[in-house]
Amino acid sequence: MNLIVPRFGQRGVILATVIVLLAVLPVIGVPQQWLLYLFLYFVYLAMANMWNLLAGYSGLLSLCPAAFIGLSGYALILGTWVGVPLYLGVFIGGIVAALFGILISIPVFRLTGVYFAIGTLVVPEALKYLFFLWRPMGRELHGGGAGYMVKGEFIIDIAWTYWAAFIIGIVSIFLMHFILKSKLGLGLAGIRDNTGTAASSGVNVFRLKLYAFIIAAFITGIAGSVFYLFQLHIEPTSAFNIRWLMTSMLATLIGGIGLKEGPIVGTIVVVILHFLLARYAGISLFIQGVLLVIIISLAPEGIIGFVRKTQIYRPLLKLANRKATCPPKTGPKDELE
Amino acid sequence: MIESLSDLAMPITAGILLGGLYAVVALGFSLVFGVMKLINVAHGDFVILGSYLAFAALTGIDLDPFLSLVFILPLVLVIGFLVQKYLLNRAMAISADAPVIICLGFSLMLANMFQMIWSPLSRGLTTSYSLTSYNIGGLAIQLIYLLDLIIALAVMLALREFLRRTYLGKAIVAASQDRTAAEMMGINTNKMYAYAFAIAMACAALAGVLVGLTFPFSPTSGVPFLIIAFGVVILGGLGSMVGTLIGGIVFGLAQTLGGFYFGVAAQMFVAYVMVLVILGIRPQGIFGR
Repeated sequence: MNLIVPRFGQRGVILATVIVLLAVLPVIGVPQQWLLYLFLYFVYLAMANMWNLLAGYSGLLSLCPAAFIGLSGYALILGTWVGVPLYLGVFIGGIVAALFGILISIPVFRLTGVYFAIGTLVVPEALKYLFFLWRPMGRELHGGGAGYMVKGEFIIDIAWTYWAAFIIGIVSIFLMHFILKSKLGLGLAGIRDNTGTAASSGVNVFRLKLYAFIIAAFITGIAGSVFYLFQLHIEPTSAFNIRWLMTSMLATLIGGIGLKEGPIVGTIVVVILHFLLARYAGISLFIQGVLLVIIISLAPEGIIGFVRKTQIYRPLLKLANRKATCPPKTGPKDELE
Repeated sequence: MIESLSDLAMPITAGILLGGLYAVVALGFSLVFGVMKLINVAHGDFVILGSYLAFAALTGIDLDPFLSLVFILPLVLVIGFLVQKYLLNRAMAISADAPVIICLGFSLMLANMFQMIWSPLSRGLTTSYSLTSYNIGGLAIQLIYLLDLIIALAVMLALREFLRRTYLGKAIVAASQDRTAAEMMGINTNKMYAYAFAIAMACAALAGVLVGLTFPFSPTSGVPFLIIAFGVVILGGLGSMVGTLIGGIVFGLAQTLGGFYFGVAAQMFVAYVMVLVILGIRPQGIFGR
């Protein structure tokens, strides 16, 4: 990442333009459907980024994003029952998820590698049963399998939910960027490459992994409650569904696991897939499962990994450089590079 | 007090008998876990695959579930062998996580497939002997539950003898103990892995038939059985048949007693919390080394 200053300036300008453009979309009267796609894109992006942080950078194959998402969703929606405003509820959701991450780390952090994976798989399942049984609020008609609706008069503009998603999506990208540059990121990279060497060089393996886990829990939680800001209704089966894990995992794997740009590209594919498969809801999980198997066996490095390995963009760059006066193409690939 | 004890006698007996079923459920998982150090997250769905295949045989050609095993076992043996040979062996060369992700893919594919073919309705293997029960000392014991334990003991004994006495079994154990050394002795470890996975799938299918006879099952029943299998293995430790049986019995008891004290809906929750508590206290298992 040794960029020369003018280039950086140029990239910064492009980046700022893209961000501003995306931010003003609701104001300039873009069709609602587009906003919905982008809303899902940013929510999934935040989740995928955090999954990438855990599985790609920290060596923690976490199978429990659904636990954080479901819990924060419940926190948000139950919060409205006791009069917590929605915007505050989103943060409370994130905090609940982070606290739960700390709690759950006690048993699951005693496991390493793939053992950790299955330990985390138990968590959302247990929570699902808990929320089937437990009715924290309301009487017979609410809670349990029926779930909860947001209580009170809320008319939420799609623009606001879009902005909430947009912010958490962008924050997750910058967060990844800064984490990876920080001591935490360097430590994590060391742990991923060789745990033994990292530990003997003074990296506190347990603590760094725990930090990564809690950060991921927090951001995933916020993304989850932003999603429920849009959904406004929650019930255990969909809240603690394996679908959440699938989305984060597919987005990361399609883009490229362990690569910062991976989820950004992968989530685009996942959102497109999401809407293509909506018509075939009955077999959508089957198709996603097949995709997962195919990607892992044939292209485990994902799109970005493939592009980097084969340097397929070289001719394009040459073409762009030949026209010396023109700035490099401002396609998405360049901005992500 | 006496009364409550006699009330408890029923769930305790049922729990011990169910323990046999859970031990069989865990057997295939334990084999894959022990030999390939792979967590097969699709194991629960492989179990339910057995249930559905038996269900198809029962409803389609009116074949007894135990007789249908004659067709099911060869089928899943071949599937297991091919899956390990062509997918998992390759994935294991990529990274430790890759085969887990592939198994997760399989788990989703199977669960979705069950739903497509057999609808999300809850099914059961209903046979002429489904409701047969014997009255032993004032306790009504269902034949199916009794069969669970007897078959469990038989299968575990058979598997142990297979691993100890046959060449193939010894080769699988060798490949699990030290891959390099086994390869130097001329054992094709990849092939052994494929055999081990095939056997694990056969165990899963057998367990699936027992599950189908004992409980109603639906397309999403796979995950609970995966978690039980995992719980049994971490409780009982790897490679110990006695440990697996004890682990199974503990989970059987947890489920029936949990149901007795907290209601049927809480059964699985009790079992799951137990898994997490065991992980927190003793991740290497109670009988683990």
